[in-house]
Amino acid sequence: MKKVFLVFLLVLACSGLVVAQTGTKKKRPLASDYGNVVMNNYSEKSGMSAVVFSHWLHRARFTCRLCHVDIGFAMKADGTNIKAIDNMNGYYCGTCHNGKRSFKGVEKMFEACSKKLTPEDGKRCDRCHSLGKNVKREYDLAEFTAKFPKERFGNGVNWELAEETGVIKPLDFLDGVSIKRPALTIQKDFSLDAKVEGMPSIIFSHKKHTVWNGCEVCHPEIFIGVKKGATKYSMIEIFDGKFCGVCHGKVAFPNLDCQRCHTKPVS
Amino acid sequence: MREKAKSLAIALAIALSVLFGMPLLTSGAFIAAAADVAQDNWKTEFEDICSKTQDSMAFTSDELKSLVDRCDALKPRIEKLDETQKKVYLKRLQMCRDLLAFVMQSKLEK
Repeated sequence: MKKVFLVFLLVLACSGLVVAQTGTKKKRPLASDYGNVVMNNYSEKSGMSAVVFSHWLHRARFTCRLCHVDIGFAMKADGTNIKAIDNMNGYYCGTCHNGKRSFKGVEKMFEACSKKLTPEDGKRCDRCHSLGKNVKREYDLAEFTAKFPKERFGNGVNWELAEETGVIKPLDFLDGVSIKRPALTIQKDFSLDAKVEGMPSIIFSHKKHTVWNGCEVCHPEIFIGVKKGATKYSMIEIFDGKFCGVCHGKVAFPNLDCQRCHTKPVS
Repeated sequence: MREKAKSLAIALAIALSVLFGMPLLTSGAFIAAAADVAQDNWKTEFEDICSKTQDSMAFTSDELKSLVDRCDALKPRIEKLDETQKKVYLKRLQMCRDLLAFVMQSKLEK
């Protein structure tokens, strides 16, 4: 009996060690779920399902800057503290989802949160408040992006190329919200040396990033240092969602796609 | 429209003051109306400052300092807005100020 107990303890200790060394594998999200953000500051507290925000659909139409600077969405889920009344007042989601605003291909954006709630409104609420519900989405990723350039990871779309080739034309200005500004003077690209020997260095393209982000999305909130190399970070921190990892790995192409950043030929 | 009417009222008050003497200018109603207009103009000031972020690299450090100071002066006016507007515009102003201060710092460190 004692022997059995000892063997059991040994097996338990070994398996504990194995698990501690290897960790648990993170499940990769489906292409259509990649980038989705769940917002739940107040929803469940007020008896509604949490909001599931589809990043891919919005990024196909708008720049990151438009929403994260001009509309004021925080870069972290639940960082904005959106209330229904904010949307009703025409801010945040309600900036566009007001039952009036139209865009190319969309006649009238549905209204997000309205003061008067009719029984028919239930379905409309479910379009956003959909966590845990089996809601049929109006837009299907595969269908919507059928003609978009493809990529291996993330949403399976090469968004950068899609923008560059004009397949998508993300809107960067909203009447009544955005401020008229002169065209952005694009800063120079620069290289960041890889810390591992044999790994190609990174060529950081300011041009590619400013198309989507302008200046304020990244500076100084994400990249604080003003001189090249002043902000020190490692791949571990990036995988942990800091620095480049604020976007890459959550919405922009994931960090698994090494060669999209490490592009400088090794001499 | 509301702003236009207030501006007109102030212009009229000034004209009447010139005609009938200073007392009208120092009256409570006039001061309150002027303060209202100043508060209403927060958005013009906000847009003027934050329209400069894209070409902030072209400004001198003194110009950037002045823009940062204007952001600081605008903040208390935005804090008087309703809850939603306050939340949105304080964040937008902060982003704007942070970027201008960031560029200013980079210029000073050069």
